Amino acid sequence: MLELKRSLDAKGHCLLEMPTGTGKTIALLSLITSYVLSKPHNPVKLLYCTRTVHEMEKTLAELKLLHTYQTTHLGDRAKILAVGLSSRKNLCVNPRVLAAENRDSVDASCRRLTASWVRAAAAANPNVPTCEFFEEYEKAGSSAVLPPGVYTLQDLRVYGKEKGWCPYFLARHMVQFANVVVYSYQYLLDPKVAGIISKEMQRESVVVFDEAHNIDNVCIEALSVSVRRQTLEGARRNLNKMRQEIEKFKATDAGRLRAEYNRLVEGLAQRGNLSISDTWLSNPALPDDILKEAVPGNIRRAEHFLHVLRRLVQYLEGRLETDNVEKEGPVAFVSSLNTYAGIDQKTLKFCYDRLHSLMLTLEITDTDEFLHVQTICDFATLVGTYTRGFSIIIEPFDERMPHIPDPVLQLSCHDASLAIKPVFDRFQSVVITSGTLSPIDLYPRLLNFHPVVSRSFKMSLTRDCICPMVLTRGSDQLPVSTKFDMRSDLGVVRNYGRLLVEMASIVPDGIVCFFVSYSYMDGIVNSWNDNGILKEIMQHKLVFIETQDVVETTLALDNYRKACDCGRGAIFFSVARGKVAEGIDFDRHYGRLVIMFGVPFQYTLSKILLARLEYLRDTFQIKEGDFLTFDALRQAAQCVGRVIRSKADYGMMIFADKRYSRHDKRSKLPGWILSHLRDAHLNLSTDMALHIAREFLRKMAQPYDKAGSSSSKTLLSQEDVEKMSDANLNEMLY
Amino acid sequence: MNNGDKRRVNGEAEEDDEEEEGNEDLEAWERAYADERSWEALQEDESGLLRPIDNNTLYHAQYRRRIRSLSSLATTARIQKGLIRYLCIVVDLSKAAAEMDYRPSRMVVVAKHVEAFIREFFDQNPLSQLALVTIKDGVAHCLTDLGGSPESHVKALMGKLECSGESSLQNALDLVHGYLNQIPSYGHREVLILYSALSTCDPGDIMETIQKCKKSKIRCSVIGLSAEIFICKHLCQETGGSYSVALDEGHFKELILEHAPPPPAIAEFAIANLIKMGFPQRAAESSIAICSCHKEAKVGGGYTCPRCKARVCELPMECRICGLTLISSPHLARSYHHLFPIVPFDEVSTSLLNDPHNRLPRSCFGCQQSLLNPGNKPSLRVACPKCKQHFCLDCDIYIHESLHNCPGCESFRHSKAAIASEE
Repeated sequence: MLELKRSLDAKGHCLLEMPTGTGKTIALLSLITSYVLSKPHNPVKLLYCTRTVHEMEKTLAELKLLHTYQTTHLGDRAKILAVGLSSRKNLCVNPRVLAAENRDSVDASCRRLTASWVRAAAAANPNVPTCEFFEEYEKAGSSAVLPPGVYTLQDLRVYGKEKGWCPYFLARHMVQFANVVVYSYQYLLDPKVAGIISKEMQRESVVVFDEAHNIDNVCIEALSVSVRRQTLEGARRNLNKMRQEIEKFKATDAGRLRAEYNRLVEGLAQRGNLSISDTWLSNPALPDDILKEAVPGNIRRAEHFLHVLRRLVQYLEGRLETDNVEKEGPVAFVSSLNTYAGIDQKTLKFCYDRLHSLMLTLEITDTDEFLHVQTICDFATLVGTYTRGFSIIIEPFDERMPHIPDPVLQLSCHDASLAIKPVFDRFQSVVITSGTLSPIDLYPRLLNFHPVVSRSFKMSLTRDCICPMVLTRGSDQLPVSTKFDMRSDLGVVRNYGRLLVEMASIVPDGIVCFFVSYSYMDGIVNSWNDNGILKEIMQHKLVFIETQDVVETTLALDNYRKACDCGRGAIFFSVARGKVAEGIDFDRHYGRLVIMFGVPFQYTLSKILLARLEYLRDTFQIKEGDFLTFDALRQAAQCVGRVIRSKADYGMMIFADKRYSRHDKRSKLPGWILSHLRDAHLNLSTDMALHIAREFLRKMAQPYDKAGSSSSKTLLSQEDVEKMSDANLNEMLY
Repeated sequence: MNNGDKRRVNGEAEEDDEEEEGNEDLEAWERAYADERSWEALQEDESGLLRPIDNNTLYHAQYRRRIRSLSSLATTARIQKGLIRYLCIVVDLSKAAAEMDYRPSRMVVVAKHVEAFIREFFDQNPLSQLALVTIKDGVAHCLTDLGGSPESHVKALMGKLECSGESSLQNALDLVHGYLNQIPSYGHREVLILYSALSTCDPGDIMETIQKCKKSKIRCSVIGLSAEIFICKHLCQETGGSYSVALDEGHFKELILEHAPPPPAIAEFAIANLIKMGFPQRAAESSIAICSCHKEAKVGGGYTCPRCKARVCELPMECRICGLTLISSPHLARSYHHLFPIVPFDEVSTSLLNDPHNRLPRSCFGCQQSLLNPGNKPSLRVACPKCKQHFCLDCDIYIHESLHNCPGCESFRHSKAAIASEE
């Protein structure tokens, strides 16, 4: 907290690593809100970014508790307005819209009911359906405000239903006035969305990225586009449809197209006169001059623009026809595009804006159908805008299945700092925090910023409630590893199997296993099945497996929990970097032990990864090996960190690979794991690990006092804190 | 360590001088295998030296803590205790009980301590009855019915000591529920589960069974032998029992014996009502009668029920003929101390001990042993808060655990009574 205050004072950015379950969220929230309260003349806004909707809800619930505390102790002065913002899918209360199954179609069906021309049509003809919630909200106009308080998404929906106002638009409106806004990363990082939502945020804001260990990947994904054959075909269909529309308009309403043309001549910056439900974009990631520039002449007319797009699609199709892997930079790509298709860089840059302007003009509401052509325009804009940090990779087939032609053209971003740069530039402090940010000096380099503070905190525990172990050998003393040359070795497979069987027999309730990849998991489970190991495991516990199918996995997880609850015991097989490893907690009895089989390196032969590594080496002087290890270890730490979510909890972690005992790997684990990793636990074989596990479980089952004994106090009372601050004061004086 | 062992006095003693424990009958490594694990009695101090753990003070400190926690409950309000207990001991004999982490196996260790527990239980709760249930092959069996004879329980347990198959908590609970549901409302229904396995294979929804037990006010306690299991914890929380996991054999013994003194009565459950009891007379030595419990003629001994005049062999028990609860008055008296425990003694502070002006008694009031250490330094001692007499640590434990009377207070009251009568 001290560090956080320091960085707030310095108006700089900071990087904090805090173990999970130590009250990270509440510490951040309480300090920042109190900080805001202490400076009433200078209102600071808090933007809290979470990764998932679930975390958003949790954060808001905690904030609610905090808010009740603050208001009871500080009175009305402490009243704040906090809202959560999410997509229409999570906020909509209109049953007709909610019937749509995915996010894009919810968006589209909402737009179908609320777009300005639809409402205009409805005013003339009452049979045109509109959304009654939005109508109510519009009628209330600027008087539609939320009273101060903390609103979770659920609260917003309830409030919206009560008042008959659309919660989504209400929340979007209130974001400008709220003191605390909780939303997901995309609203700040993705240039396409960020423009609409976040452009009104003032400079004096504190931005918090929670669970930000993967922030570089999020940044990169936000700026990467991949184009497949289906995309191109879809785009072609879309273009045809748009041409028909244009023809229709030409016949009926030529004036509208002309108006658009004139507007484009004046420049995109003046587009601000559209109402909020219609605005699409202003792009903070694009250089400012684009917004001021007029749209180039060759795409101002709708039909010309369509021709350009058609040529672009044709060109891309031609490129996809290749038989071997190709890789080139954006500059080379654009110049070849210019030669073959006659589209220059400037035209490309404007594709995205131009498309949306056109779609507005054509009054297209079912945006979900036009996703393909949007992808193409995204691609064009990115290629046209950036000259560095990207590369275009064309792969004719998937590496793993070379017989099936599945050409992919990927525009991949290598530089995470591009997407996050506007955030760092615009806001006075950015706090990046997570349970696993080690090694902490790598993040500033990856994201290209200079933190005022970067610290890694340790957990103070009443007892040693985590027990990390590095298992290097099987019970027959042969090394175990998932290294490429060893992973299919029968001995290794058997040793891993024995480890699991033995552990299943001594660990109660739930065990979680993480494998390095789906294919490896499939392989090893198959061979366990062949030599009967799986059957032995099943005698002790039920086995559940994560698959790539989300529904199936959710079902498996549910049943896994049930099996743990009723005392049968269960094992969950999962994959590092999978959905389970990222977002699901295995706290308390749901995970008493987590085994990480192998080191989860990325697929090193992937062209995209190679290109990124090369870029990192050239630009940031980060060695390939270093980055790979860093990435693998943060995944591993993320996986094992799933088991412990609070101090009262306990769990064991086994890193089953001989490579973990090497110093360069081990030292990259986060501090709170390392501090519990004793030297004696570094080089274990299966039977030694078993012994340690038995002892540990017995010790942890003993009752303990929560406040901690006098020697290792973890729960500080007010006097203790005062004493501490006195001591600090004395130190400073003398 | 085993200081009572005969010391060797031959020349070898000098060679072994460095190792203190080396000069005993058995070599240290031999002893280690013979009885307990000697290395566990050693600990490392700050400078890395090995030294034996000071068991005596440690043990006493533990005991003090326990008694304090008990008394903190007891003194604040006079707690009603369930003196008439109906306890089912469930012994898990699934294949996990064959594991060898307790020597020679979990099963044998459990049986040994259950035996000790049964005797202790009847010693402390003469009015209570217990039954034995085992889990084997996923099914629960009743080993003995509810009864008051320690011998028959112990015999039944020792005769059936083999293990196999899975274990099922639900089956055991269902069986026990069937037994305990019938007993009269003044009795306290308890289950003590000694659980070796780490999972339970149940035929149905165990949560329902737990709720059923909760509804019939059966207090379920579990002692685990290997690790904490969620379902056991849940069961204990729901039914108000205690859950503990044994660290080693000694700890297991402690844990199981903690269940011997009667638990505080559940408030909603403690409806005070009168219970009809008979105090049978011991039959004459030479009389011959057919005893109602074994259905055979016996010479001498035995008791006669005051209502139906039937002969029974042991007390306490329920009369087979008329169903009257038969006990003897010493049984009742022995249960008495649970209701009025003696207050824990206060530790005499060291500053007071080291004060030369303060004249303190030199010997323990209980055993008359000197309270001074060999170096003429005063050792730890305790004092009764009522009569202010000093006791040594051994007497402290003895008075609280076995005697249940403070010698100081008793003699003081006696002398006062004597003076009163003289006048």
